Amino acid sequence: MPDYVLEVQNLDKIYGEGETAFSALKNLSFTVKRGEFILIVGSSGSGKSTLLNMIGLLDKPTRGTVIIDGVNTSVLNDNQLSSFRNSKLGFIFQFSNLLSDLTVLENVVLPRKIQGTMSGAMEEGKNLLKTVGLEDQMNKFANKISGGQAQRVAITRALINKPAIVLADEPTGNLDSVSAETTIQLLKSLNRKLHQTFIVVTHDRPQFGDVDKVITIKDGRIVEGELEVA
Amino acid sequence: MDYRAQIGIRFITRRKGSLIAASLAVAIAILVVQVNSVIFQGLYDAIVRDQINYRFGHVYITRQEDYITKSDFVLVNWLERIPYVQAAAPRLDSVAQINSTVNGQLIKDYQVPIIGVDPVLDKEASTIFTTVGQGEFVSFRNSIVLGALVARDLGNPQIGDTVKLKFKDRYGNDVLKRFTIVGITQTAGSVGLDNSAIINIDTLRDVIERPHESGAILVRLNDPSKAEDVKQLFLSAFPSNSDKFKAQTIEESAETTLRGFRSGIALINLVGYFGMMSSAFAVVTIQMMQVTSKTREIGIMRAIGSKRKDILLVFIFQGMVIGAIGAGLGTVLGIGYTVYAKETHMTFQGSLPLEVHYNWASIIQTDIMAFVLAVIASIYPAYKATKLEPVEAMRYA
Ligand SMILES: Nc1ncnc2c1ncn2[C@@H]1O[C@H](COP(=O)(O)OP(=O)(O)O)[C@@H](O)[C@H]1O
Ligand SMILES: [Mg+2]
Repeated sequence: MPDYVLEVQNLDKIYGEGETAFSALKNLSFTVKRGEFILIVGSSGSGKSTLLNMIGLLDKPTRGTVIIDGVNTSVLNDNQLSSFRNSKLGFIFQFSNLLSDLTVLENVVLPRKIQGTMSGAMEEGKNLLKTVGLEDQMNKFANKISGGQAQRVAITRALINKPAIVLADEPTGNLDSVSAETTIQLLKSLNRKLHQTFIVVTHDRPQFGDVDKVITIKDGRIVEGELEVA
Repeated sequence: MDYRAQIGIRFITRRKGSLIAASLAVAIAILVVQVNSVIFQGLYDAIVRDQINYRFGHVYITRQEDYITKSDFVLVNWLERIPYVQAAAPRLDSVAQINSTVNGQLIKDYQVPIIGVDPVLDKEASTIFTTVGQGEFVSFRNSIVLGALVARDLGNPQIGDTVKLKFKDRYGNDVLKRFTIVGITQTAGSVGLDNSAIINIDTLRDVIERPHESGAILVRLNDPSKAEDVKQLFLSAFPSNSDKFKAQTIEESAETTLRGFRSGIALINLVGYFGMMSSAFAVVTIQMMQVTSKTREIGIMRAIGSKRKDILLVFIFQGMVIGAIGAGLGTVLGIGYTVYAKETHMTFQGSLPLEVHYNWASIIQTDIMAFVLAVIASIYPAYKATKLEPVEAMRYA
């Protein structure tokens, strides 16, 4: 088993070309160990989502490498990237994460369906929904539940394939303070119970309390001085 | 169920507006094709039916550019020994100047086609006798049945009135003969019987000086599919070098009438195919809208591991749902119309009863074509969906 679940090396991301070229990430490097809870903070437009998209293999860096679970992802083709996202990564986005034409449970088990490993998935999905307190909502269509509930469903879906890393981009950005608090506590407890690695972009640094590492981004660079290590 | 099928079906069935619009487009195209087929194929078949019944039989025997001089008795007897042959009858055609006097007054004087029939044999081989609406069919030697239009033009003479006909015999001499009206046809549809008059074939033979000759022998079969066999049997029994007989199946004898009609049908079918093409464009448009409105969903699916191919399949399945529902609905509507046409004995221009068939082969063919077109129409939108990059798709929050 590799030492690091994630290694980011000399990452550059330039949007556009020529005159309009904009450097959103500049030579970023850092590592994450298995089971860590990482926060990425920084002001709006600093490059947090861009970074998360690179780690999440949703977009390709201009330069540099992202190594997940020991695999250099820059060598993967489009189909391999899809499979890799499916098995190694879990995603929680800020806004409606779910397919509104599927029920809560169908959304949760969708990564397993995509993977073609449905045996036992329904039971696992139901159990996970129970842990997040949504077992009574599982047959509702996803657009019929509240925003806070939807985020908890998204968390459940992110976990169903037991990914190496769960990535969350401002998961509480769209929630009221009570739901936000619930979501944050849920993420932290899942990290402790399942030793699940989380990388979370947030504006609510204080709400998270103790974490393993906080990466502060400013104008596409890691602000070295403000790197907190627990 | 395959998850791509499941999501495709959910996407479209939970968007009632799009589903209804797209499947209606498909259904209406099918309905157009069906209605065209009922009316125009029905008309075509009706004309073929009337041509068989009144004019040509299933096999029509003539002599190249001449009258048949061999005894019709011999020919009919020979033909009726063939098991497929139900009956055969001679015909002799001519023209005559006709006039009628009503209350001692000369009404009209003009030329009409005259059909000479054998009163007994013709009733077996043809249904021309059923077109008599008033009175009865020709029987005795000087009886005449007037076509409805002829009777009208003559000022509506009554049964029992007399008409005088002026023929030209084979030498060009005028021959006058007086006939007693025994019947008047009701509209007989496509073959122009209403413009003609029917008399006894032997009378006609006498007046035009062609005793024992016939213009044609029409042969009615109990198995119409054997027309070609009967034709060949006849031609080999009466080889053409001595008798110069010509035998034609209905397809051949009615060719001139039907040729124009066939190109008309081809044109009408083209209209149907244009309808199909427009429905395909409607499906393309609706599918494009569908892809646009599902951009975020596509992004989510890509993020959690769906490949481009999977996204393609989602929208192809969506197209299959549209095609299947559209084809189903179109078939129901089309068959509904066909049943209506059949049950109400739909006629063309109020006179010609359409020959309406349930043409299952064509219905199924149209359905398959509509379904396949709906799927093909989904390929481009589906392909567009695969081109969405996950990160682009996610931006539309
Ligand atoms: N697709 C893109 N094309 C051009 N510029 C982009 C694109 N995506 C993001 N940016 C720019 O990159 C910078 C970082 O954006 P982002 O990563 O979304 O910031 P954050 O998530 O920290 O608010 C911003 O200035 C933004 O305008
Ligand atoms: Mg952001």
